[in-house]
Amino acid sequence: MINRIIRQIQRYKGWFGGAAALCIFLGLYIGLLASPPDYYQGELVRIMYVHVPLAHTSTMAYSVLFFGSIWYLWKRDPLVDNMCQASASICALFTTLALITGSIWAKPTWNTWWTWDPRLVSFTVLLLILGGYIMLRRLVDDPVQGGRYAAILAIVGGIDLPIIKFSVEWWRTLHQPMSFSTRGVSISEDILVPLTLMSIGCWLLFAYMVMVRTQILYLTDLLHAKKGRFLSQTHFSQTTP
Amino acid sequence: MTGLYTRWALILGATLLLAILTYQHYQQHLSTLSMGTLLGTPPVTQPVRIQGMVKSGTLQGDVEHGQATFEFVDGAASLTVEYQGPPLENIRELKTLVLIGRWDSQAQVFKAQDTALINNFGFVAAAYLISVMALGWMVFAMSQRVMVLFKEIKESKLYEPEADSLGHKE
Amino acid sequence: MPFFKTIRWVVWKDLISEWRTRETMSSMLFFALIVILVFSFSFSMDQDAARQLIAGIIWVAFTFTGIIGLGKSFTSELQNDCLESLQMCPAPKGAIYLGKVAANFLFMLSVEILLFPLFVLFFNLDVIEAVGTLLIIFSLATLGLAAVGTLFSALTVQIRAREVMLPVLLLPLAIPVMIAAVEATRGALSGDPFSFYSQWIQLLIIFDIIFTVVSFWLFEFILDS
Repeated sequence: MINRIIRQIQRYKGWFGGAAALCIFLGLYIGLLASPPDYYQGELVRIMYVHVPLAHTSTMAYSVLFFGSIWYLWKRDPLVDNMCQASASICALFTTLALITGSIWAKPTWNTWWTWDPRLVSFTVLLLILGGYIMLRRLVDDPVQGGRYAAILAIVGGIDLPIIKFSVEWWRTLHQPMSFSTRGVSISEDILVPLTLMSIGCWLLFAYMVMVRTQILYLTDLLHAKKGRFLSQTHFSQTTP
Repeated sequence: MTGLYTRWALILGATLLLAILTYQHYQQHLSTLSMGTLLGTPPVTQPVRIQGMVKSGTLQGDVEHGQATFEFVDGAASLTVEYQGPPLENIRELKTLVLIGRWDSQAQVFKAQDTALINNFGFVAAAYLISVMALGWMVFAMSQRVMVLFKEIKESKLYEPEADSLGHKE
Repeated sequence: MPFFKTIRWVVWKDLISEWRTRETMSSMLFFALIVILVFSFSFSMDQDAARQLIAGIIWVAFTFTGIIGLGKSFTSELQNDCLESLQMCPAPKGAIYLGKVAANFLFMLSVEILLFPLFVLFFNLDVIEAVGTLLIIFSLATLGLAAVGTLFSALTVQIRAREVMLPVLLLPLAIPVMIAAVEATRGALSGDPFSFYSQWIQLLIIFDIIFTVVSFWLFEFILDS
């Protein structure tokens, strides 16, 4: 069933890409030029318009990976496995960018590039888990076995991440009471418009990227199969009922 | 292949346009003159923006009603400021901020009408550049890869199983 | 009761083979000794500094030695194709997992119990009243490490670069155990009332329950071929 849904969405992925480009350009224009600077943060608030959507999208990408992995272990659909692999590497990109932009925002605001804030720590751990996931996939020769192992890692990581965030929060409040609130932004109308646009744009972009990446993995399998290197699982399951 | 490159040329063009517009906006509304440049050049009539720090012990006047005089320092240079404008809520001694106003070269006084927070536009530009370039490059590389794969699949020959020792094919 | 019988046999098998070779325990002990020495050289500590740092040092040493033990737990099965036999064994896979967790837990905990007196000796700790609580903390945290670690030990044993991948995959996931264990140990060592650090023990219990259940369910997919 989900196989068919992915295929349907694949067919219209160009629309996702176009809509993403539109939203992001509009969001960039409003965020950079048309919106007024924030009262407290000044021009720095503009970093939020890229940072927050990137961070949201990376959590969304991990949820896609998490539920996709559960689905894969349950139904063993190779296309879902390809999708999980695609969203893992894209999630890693979004997480890295979210961390970098967050760090750039923190320097002028909190006068430090890095602080042991629960969110920062859980995002870093997320990046470490994704790094492990990508390495794991490369180190296993059999693609089916690799998919299974990677799915196990993604599920354990998905359950662990909320616990990590929670425990770091406890640990922080115990040791150094937070000298600054993480929520430096009070949401006002001016902020909301570019933020929403960029968020929607990033989500669409993520959907588009996952589809293109899934297609790449699928086509690579097809190429290998055509050259006779090994029988592609993806295509094998298509021909057998 | 050409369709892909046309699309990406359009995207690149739009990004460049946005970058140029932003740069102009920055030049006109956000960039600050250094104090040395302000004092060195012939008097300018339109309002300018200068960045500096309120010197300690010099802030006088009724800040809550938008009137104040103070010494404004930027490195070695300093000048006297007469502020008259909206109430200054977040001004205090040793505060770094941006003043908008005119330089009165006869009286040697900077007549400020408004303030702004210091703009760290470098940080904003860095954040935008890094994320836009990384995402753009990634998406571009991926779409290009799809095209290359399609081409390769079309060109590659179908695998023929090798004949076994008796000459039969599998 | 084939389920509990399987658990018992797996534990028994691991204990017997460990008793005959004494490979895992001795390498863990030596490694831990070296870690302790390195730490005492790299921080020149007085009494106060030691009190601040000791909980962290204890747990770094325990975790790294634990990883050695966990790695050995499945690499030893590679000899004589024992892993294939385990895979083909008609016993429930979950029971094999629980047996392995129990064996790893026993190895790790006994190494910790052997090492702890050395920490007391080297760093002049005052622990007489806290021994009971410390034992509870050690057991809970070791159970958490063993629960996740056994899963990943089985997972990494069949891939390339397994010695590197086990810590790379395990350590980020073990962060809650580390934080909770270090905080609870620090509390117990500095003689705080139990209510000060009981929240960390609760966190350990929650972690243990969640990850034993999750890994028990996921283990089936590792040994399934």
